[in-house]
Amino acid sequence: MRIEPEITGVLIELTPMERRLLSTLLTQYDELVHDQLDDSDLAADPALARLFPNAYPDDDEAAAEFRRYTRDGLADRKAANSGLISAALMASSDDERITVARDDAEHWLPALTDLRLVLAERLGIHRDDDPIPENELGDVYDWLAQLQGALVEALD
Amino acid sequence: MVVVAQLVERWLVVPDVAGSSPVIHPMFVASSPVLSSTDLERDTTTESRIAPDVPWQTIVWNDPVNLMSYVAHVFRSYFGYSKPEAERLMLQVHHDGRSVVATGPREEMERHTEAMHEYGLWATVDRVS
Repeated sequence: MRIEPEITGVLIELTPMERRLLSTLLTQYDELVHDQLDDSDLAADPALARLFPNAYPDDDEAAAEFRRYTRDGLADRKAANSGLISAALMASSDDERITVARDDAEHWLPALTDLRLVLAERLGIHRDDDPIPENELGDVYDWLAQLQGALVEALD
Repeated sequence: MVVVAQLVERWLVVPDVAGSSPVIHPMFVASSPVLSSTDLERDTTTESRIAPDVPWQTIVWNDPVNLMSYVAHVFRSYFGYSKPEAERLMLQVHHDGRSVVATGPREEMERHTEAMHEYGLWATVDRVS
């Protein structure tokens, strides 16, 4: 992985394996954050609950109303963010560097965050001092952090 | 460099909880503001004495996932805070567990909270106490 700032955006160089990894994760993310999420989906999966947090933890009525008014739009925008990455991957060949315009790169960041939030839940990372498991999934989580960190640095 | 043996593995799928009751994330409950001291002090009697035009606030809570650089970046790019102010708020989230990132009318605070949720930050709305 190599990330370089450009005048109008960011140049991203990924290995073919890194591309497949990202693409696989995004496909799974799209299945998770579908457009017909309801309260029972969120109650059944803590990762989904984290992607759509309770805005009023001490007011159930206000919390339900907030969810009702924001969830669908939020799900749409989350899907659009992840779709931007998928589209950029599909529009470039394996040996090509990906040129991402600045505005688009800003939408990569929340999508990468959401992938990390879901993985953290699956890895049991709930507190600041929880260790990242030393396994394949932990490596993926670390790799996403490197990618996101490098992107933030390139955009700052 | 990640070495991935099985790309087809379904990492992000929902764990099989069929037949079980809804699972509440333990950390979510433990660290939710419901049990914080400020909320314990607030009861319904004080609530009803608060004038309706009292401002509201958007609070961002600490989480173990988001990179510090990303959180500061969000505060700069979304709220337009200067770099030092964005860093200060980010560090407050990190060290104190939470930070008030905006104050104002309720609808506006809800809009900010929704935006924070899109960024993947854990944000809540509350009355200014």
